[in-house]
Amino acid sequence: MLYMMVFSLFPMAWVVALSLFNYSPQRAGSGFLGLGGINPFIGLDNYINMFASNQPARVFRQSVLNTFLFTLLVLPLNLFITLPLAVLLESVHARIKGLFRAIYFLPVISSTVAVALIWGNLYNPKWGLINTAIKAIGLVPPKAWLSDPRAFVIGIPLAMIAVVIAYVWQDFGYNMVIFVAALQGIPQSIREAARVDGANAWQEFRHITLPLLRPTLLFVCVLTVISSFQTFVIFQQLTAGGPREQTTPLVMSIYLNAFRFQSMGWAAAISMVLFLIILLFTVIQFRFLRTDWEYS
Amino acid sequence: MTTLDKAIQPPTQVRANRALRTVGLSLAYIILTLGLFMTLVPFIYVILSSFKTSLEIIKVPPSLLPEQWTTQNYLTIFNDPKIPLLRFYGNSLFVTVARVAITLFTSSFAGYVFAKYRFRGRDVLFTFILATLMIPFQVIMIPAYLILVSMGLIDTLWGLVIPSLVDAFGIFMMKQFIEGIPNELLDAARIDGTGEFRIYWRIVLPQLGAPLAALGVFTFIATWNDYLWPLIVITTHERRTLPLLLSWYSNQHGSNPALTLTAAVFVMFPVLIVYSFFQRYIVQGVTLTGFK
Amino acid sequence: MKAKFVLWMTVVSLILMACAAPAQPASPAKPAAGEKVTLRLWSHNNPAFVQVNQVLVDAFMKENPDIEVKYEQFPYEQLIQTLQTSMPAKSEADVIEFFGTWTCGYARGGRLMEVPGDIMPLAQAQQLFFKAPLDGYNCDGKLYGFPNEFNLEYGAVLVNPEIFKKHNVPYPPQWKTFDDLIADAKKLTEADIAGTMTVAGYNYIGGDALGFAFLAGILQQGGNYFAADGKHFNFESPEAKKAAQLLVDMAQRDKVTDPILFPDEKAIESFFQGKTAILFRGPWAAASGLVDYPGFKFDYVNVPPYFGNKHIFAADSGWGKVVSINTKYPDAAWKLVQFFTTNQANAQTWNGATGTIPALKGIVDQPDEFLKKAPWVKPTFEILPGGTFIGNVGDRDQLWYQIMSKHLLDAIQGTTSLDDAIKAIHTEANAMVDAQK
Repeated sequence: MLYMMVFSLFPMAWVVALSLFNYSPQRAGSGFLGLGGINPFIGLDNYINMFASNQPARVFRQSVLNTFLFTLLVLPLNLFITLPLAVLLESVHARIKGLFRAIYFLPVISSTVAVALIWGNLYNPKWGLINTAIKAIGLVPPKAWLSDPRAFVIGIPLAMIAVVIAYVWQDFGYNMVIFVAALQGIPQSIREAARVDGANAWQEFRHITLPLLRPTLLFVCVLTVISSFQTFVIFQQLTAGGPREQTTPLVMSIYLNAFRFQSMGWAAAISMVLFLIILLFTVIQFRFLRTDWEYS
Repeated sequence: MTTLDKAIQPPTQVRANRALRTVGLSLAYIILTLGLFMTLVPFIYVILSSFKTSLEIIKVPPSLLPEQWTTQNYLTIFNDPKIPLLRFYGNSLFVTVARVAITLFTSSFAGYVFAKYRFRGRDVLFTFILATLMIPFQVIMIPAYLILVSMGLIDTLWGLVIPSLVDAFGIFMMKQFIEGIPNELLDAARIDGTGEFRIYWRIVLPQLGAPLAALGVFTFIATWNDYLWPLIVITTHERRTLPLLLSWYSNQHGSNPALTLTAAVFVMFPVLIVYSFFQRYIVQGVTLTGFK
Repeated sequence: MKAKFVLWMTVVSLILMACAAPAQPASPAKPAAGEKVTLRLWSHNNPAFVQVNQVLVDAFMKENPDIEVKYEQFPYEQLIQTLQTSMPAKSEADVIEFFGTWTCGYARGGRLMEVPGDIMPLAQAQQLFFKAPLDGYNCDGKLYGFPNEFNLEYGAVLVNPEIFKKHNVPYPPQWKTFDDLIADAKKLTEADIAGTMTVAGYNYIGGDALGFAFLAGILQQGGNYFAADGKHFNFESPEAKKAAQLLVDMAQRDKVTDPILFPDEKAIESFFQGKTAILFRGPWAAASGLVDYPGFKFDYVNVPPYFGNKHIFAADSGWGKVVSINTKYPDAAWKLVQFFTTNQANAQTWNGATGTIPALKGIVDQPDEFLKKAPWVKPTFEILPGGTFIGNVGDRDQLWYQIMSKHLLDAIQGTTSLDDAIKAIHTEANAMVDAQK
């Protein structure tokens, strides 16, 4: 418990404090924890600055946008893949099911650095598999997936789409396994009853499965949203936040400001923003999960 | 109308349904296999590439199978004096095993206390712990770094292990399970005069087989693949963990994709092996966490 | 009994923490004579640098059997980040290969050790080294290290004779003005049937390259990029605009390169794979490319100034060696630094292998040995006198990569207008200065 205090709550308080200062670890401050002195107290200046027009503020706002855009893309794509696949998987012969499930989960356990490395190669405009496949169908492939600041698809930067695809590939196995387990949890009796009543597969899905899956669905949604807010590695390794900050998420903004530009106060303020966003979603999760999900 | 009445369907309908079912099933298999293929393509790509030369990889259009299978990439990495492979596997292993062992211990212990003990402020404390679940790592990584600096643990492997020794999620999970252990069992042992710790060790722990395994495997994978925290903490080459090593190596040899892809194989391989053995637990674990 | 149990648990957790804490090695005291000293050396991971640094490290260890040197390299970006995270923790290396322009920022922050007077006073250093590179290590009259390199990102280019001959463009190049170069470059560009550029005529795009071309362009028109107070910048002068316009025109109007198909990180590779006719990079790029493509045929030739007929340019100091303030073995550390930088024979080896211009005047005065290893560097000697140290620019990397080159690239790619780009550079550079006080 003491431990917990040290490594969770105390740092939390520290971050709040940090966000009120103009702190750089390069300058050894004189006050408590190095705050104060040449690392002056600036009150809410860091937060006010978030609305300013200078470059760091603009990059910050861009990163907030990026994070939301990323989540907005990831969630439906992920659900669109995992839910149907899970349903299909569930209706399949038990022995093969295990094998399928095991393979679908492979990307989840792979190191994101390796994943980014592989996908970086797949996305290579000249000899990557993806462009090769596109050319094979006879279409014109993009000049560059990860580095063209002028490539947009319905207003979304192509680089962002590229990262989303790689991320969903790595992550979908997780949700799928949850769904499969949830589906298994639906008692056979209900299914039998539906089948006997003459319902076909689609009707069964719409009227029985889906409503019963609702709590799990909600849970998976919130889980996916929260993880996507915390994503860092795939961005850093695949695009390094480029081109032109089109793929810089909030976490990268925190990291760069803290550890590259040494403005830890500013980075701490950004962390608070991230925290508040996640807190909001976590509260929503707990609230929804209180609903009764027993089927009697 | 009883269900029995409804069950008697005209034969044509039954046959139609059955046909639909077969078509549906084959369709399902096709889609599932397609999904399988999409999942496996990057893996196949990296493995095949590791046996090609870089020149072959950057050819346009690229070949699928290596024209000439070569193990040169593997040999180069294996023999590279800057990469004592065992050292790096060892680093990752050390950090991972330490963290898993300690996490399992503290989680189950704390879970036990919270599940079976009544003491003042228990619920408040537990809520605090749950609250920390809401704080994502990225938010506290700055102070965590500064704390490590003051403790002098920057650039050490222990520095990687320390900040995440107590896992709120683990405690929560364990508590849920331990609650299910009948109190009579514990009381009986107490009457026998067994000390608290031994009760924990001998009775509670063995019952936690499944969830412990799940938690263990999860923590293993998360720690093994962890990148951001080691990136901040470790600066000495020899102390790098595998993901850091891969990143460094691929940067070093950016113009040699065969080599860097092979390095990726080296890094992914051990986890894949562990996975194939413990796959059952992992899936179980996901299921368990999914359902609290 | 319950209380006892809780107490037990707390004790256990504390023990765990306590056990963990002293796991780092105890800091050694100053070694007695004869004890083995271990120094750490850090550098970025340019392959030519890495090779020659290792060679010299081995030679040093042979000469000094009681000193062991552990040499580690990092990707460029990561080197900077690593310095930032390790210095507050006092866990950085003893000797670091630093870029001159970085030095004063760190020195003023108390992170570097001043060159001890008995090793070499400033006056003597100024005799030995060229002014431009040495000034990078000279902060307010105090010396914090020595340069190995006279960084030159101006005035000369790598050329691929094959491509010239293929298109019947006169070789060796007969450029009298910069426009002549552009004219040739247009002829040397190749594209495939779809119109995608396959060979760049003149690739001048890069994080470093754009910034330097921009500043040189300003200086050559008689302008100045510093404002009157000497601390802030002035990038809104007509000279700045004209200099930037040239950079934009080359890509948009003359189409001598494509910034997306020939990006900075692949520029050298593209040249050495025969996909670029003329590449604007410092002479070190040749050494770097030769490591992966030995035997490649190329030349390094002078180019005319962008404007006017005199070579005037800003030089960015260069790579050199510094010593951290936290080193436990200052004597050994400075010994290693001198082995690399003030020892003329070694410095010459270093320059020869990395293809960098020597910072030591002595080597340039008697260049024959050096030119045997890096013959292509010779044309740059004529230009050297035109260079002045860039001045106090604050966070050099931020100014170059985040501000100047970034916005110039935007203008070149057409994502912003030239005026907006200039304005942004001006505003952000000055904001950076203000943030640094």
